[in-house]
Amino acid sequence: MVIGIKDIFKLIGIIIISICAVFVCTLFLNYNIDLQSIENKILSVETKALFDALVMSGTVVSAVSGGCLLITAVVMLCFYIKHYIDSHRKELGILKALGYSNLRISSGFWVFGLSVFFGSAVGFAGAHCLMPKFYSVQNEDKLLPEFEPGFHLELFLSLVILPTVIFALMSVVYSLLKMKTPVLELLRGKSVSKIKAVKDGKDLPFLKDIKRATVRGRKSLVFFIAFAAFCYSAMVQMSFGIDELASEMMSFMILGIGLTLAFVTLFIAVTTIVRSNAESVSIMRVFGYSRKECSVAVLSGYRPAAIVGFAVGTGYQYLLLKIAVEVVFKDIENVPEFDFNLRALIIAAVSFVIFYEVIMYLYSRKIGKISVKEIMLDSVD
Amino acid sequence: MIKIENVHKSYGAKDNKSEILKGISLDVKRGDFAVILGASGSGKSTLLNVASGLERPDSGSVLYDGENIAALTDEKLTAFRKRKIGFIFQQYYLLPNLNVDKNVKMGAELAHNNDYAEVIAALGLSEKRGKFPHELSGGEQQRVSVARALAKKPEVLFLDEPTGALDEETGRSVLDYICKLQDELKFTIIMVTHNANIAEMAKTVIRMNSGKIVEQYRNQTQKTAYEIGW
Ligand SMILES: Nc1ncnc2c1ncn2[C@@H]1O[C@H](COP(=O)(O)OP(=O)(O)OP(=O)(O)O)[C@@H](O)[C@H]1O
Ligand SMILES: [Mg+2]
Repeated sequence: MVIGIKDIFKLIGIIIISICAVFVCTLFLNYNIDLQSIENKILSVETKALFDALVMSGTVVSAVSGGCLLITAVVMLCFYIKHYIDSHRKELGILKALGYSNLRISSGFWVFGLSVFFGSAVGFAGAHCLMPKFYSVQNEDKLLPEFEPGFHLELFLSLVILPTVIFALMSVVYSLLKMKTPVLELLRGKSVSKIKAVKDGKDLPFLKDIKRATVRGRKSLVFFIAFAAFCYSAMVQMSFGIDELASEMMSFMILGIGLTLAFVTLFIAVTTIVRSNAESVSIMRVFGYSRKECSVAVLSGYRPAAIVGFAVGTGYQYLLLKIAVEVVFKDIENVPEFDFNLRALIIAAVSFVIFYEVIMYLYSRKIGKISVKEIMLDSVD
Repeated sequence: MIKIENVHKSYGAKDNKSEILKGISLDVKRGDFAVILGASGSGKSTLLNVASGLERPDSGSVLYDGENIAALTDEKLTAFRKRKIGFIFQQYYLLPNLNVDKNVKMGAELAHNNDYAEVIAALGLSEKRGKFPHELSGGEQQRVSVARALAKKPEVLFLDEPTGALDEETGRSVLDYICKLQDELKFTIIMVTHNANIAEMAKTVIRMNSGKIVEQYRNQTQKTAYEIGW
């Protein structure tokens, strides 16, 4: 029907995020379960304290990063379906006009759940591959008795099967809600609510007008850009900030996840921005607006969102680590002082500016390549 | 002013390639009013796209006052369109997230034209200034697209079926307004239409068939938009 295998691969963002989320959660939760099993073998008080701290930090890490990633995946999936419906409004409208029932059309959306299955299965398998190494690193000083990674069916069910089912159901329900739109509105091609936000404002120059209209027309994208900046800022600074508190492996993991998330989110957001404005850009190019003017109109309105996201991320990681140090590790000796890490902030800020601007530059090149004939071919999706 | 020489244009990859323009040569003088007639699919829109620099021909040249725009870089071609070209599309192509006023302003600003409200009023759109394209009827959208092109004060105005979605009365008044502006601003018009009656308004009439020009003549006298049949 309307959704094919090709569309599932467009969900690469969700796949990657599911991989990250399930990977981290599997690693730490599996470790915790195995750890609990040796609780009664622990005799000394010191070892008990270490044991508690390990359990605690495992829970915190999987809650914070896993939870964070899961929320992102949910938001992103909703966004994808919405975007999918928005950009296929005409086809869906035609199907509806021909007499297909809403349920019949929506039920096709379950395949979106497959992308979650791919991602979480890979993440789960990946975690199991890394587990032996992880277990030995966590117990480097041989303070705890040795124990081997085990396979836990309940984790497989709740981290792989459950999300797949939930996401599949969610896709169908969400699309069902979206399909309530009357046929004519679907056929007209543009969603009304998307547009009405732009009030007839003051007399701004045209390029400022269109910049405002593009940003306001799709608020979810503002969120995504801010979120990308947030992830980058929080995770990069955290990975530098905890190098004295936790193992090197953990720092690397956090750094890796932060970069992946930021990149994927930013990539998806900017791709969507460029695609959904391709028509406008193409019209502007016909009239003789230059590549630079077009990319300013389409892309530069999001910069403030990135700055806000970055600032919030900085505050968030600071508070999180502060709380972790004061609550989780309060009974353990020799925990280093935790201070705001200015060096990490500078490194994160400078590298983010470069990262962000390079991506924007690449996409502005892409905008330049949108041919003036693009709209006539109607091949933009 | 515009001299098109032996232009060829094909679409499609090697195996299912089809030649749409098969060696077109054409000469349009400054201030001319040229109408292109022809059956659907005969290549009228394609010719318009090539002549206005939206597309490059596969071979042949498109000369504006002696300058071959087919050989310009993309950047120069964009600057060229900005200076000289106004375009009214068969499918309107308005900016969906901006209202009527801003859509017209998009054209006006390129020509530093601050009096574009005049154009909007002349096309009977004053009431609709705050409306968005999806809130307009097809004919209203078409008039916005006309207003946008005229507000740009182009040297050459290309029109692809500008009256396709208009009723007789509105159609006549839009054509009349375009002609009045032409008298005043002396721009050149190249218009594609299905309506053979409109050809009686033109100075030059060009008839196309399957990618070739089969007939070209000049009208001795021109009728006004209110004198032609519809
Ligand atoms: N981008 C394209 N790719 C492939 N074929 C195309 C493309 N654009 C136009 N064609 C083909 O070229 C032919 C001429 O198209 P064109 O739009 O120039 O016709 P037209 O004379 O304007 O017709 P109409 O009066 O219906 O608007 C058509 O057969 C069309 O299928
Ligand atoms: Mg045509």
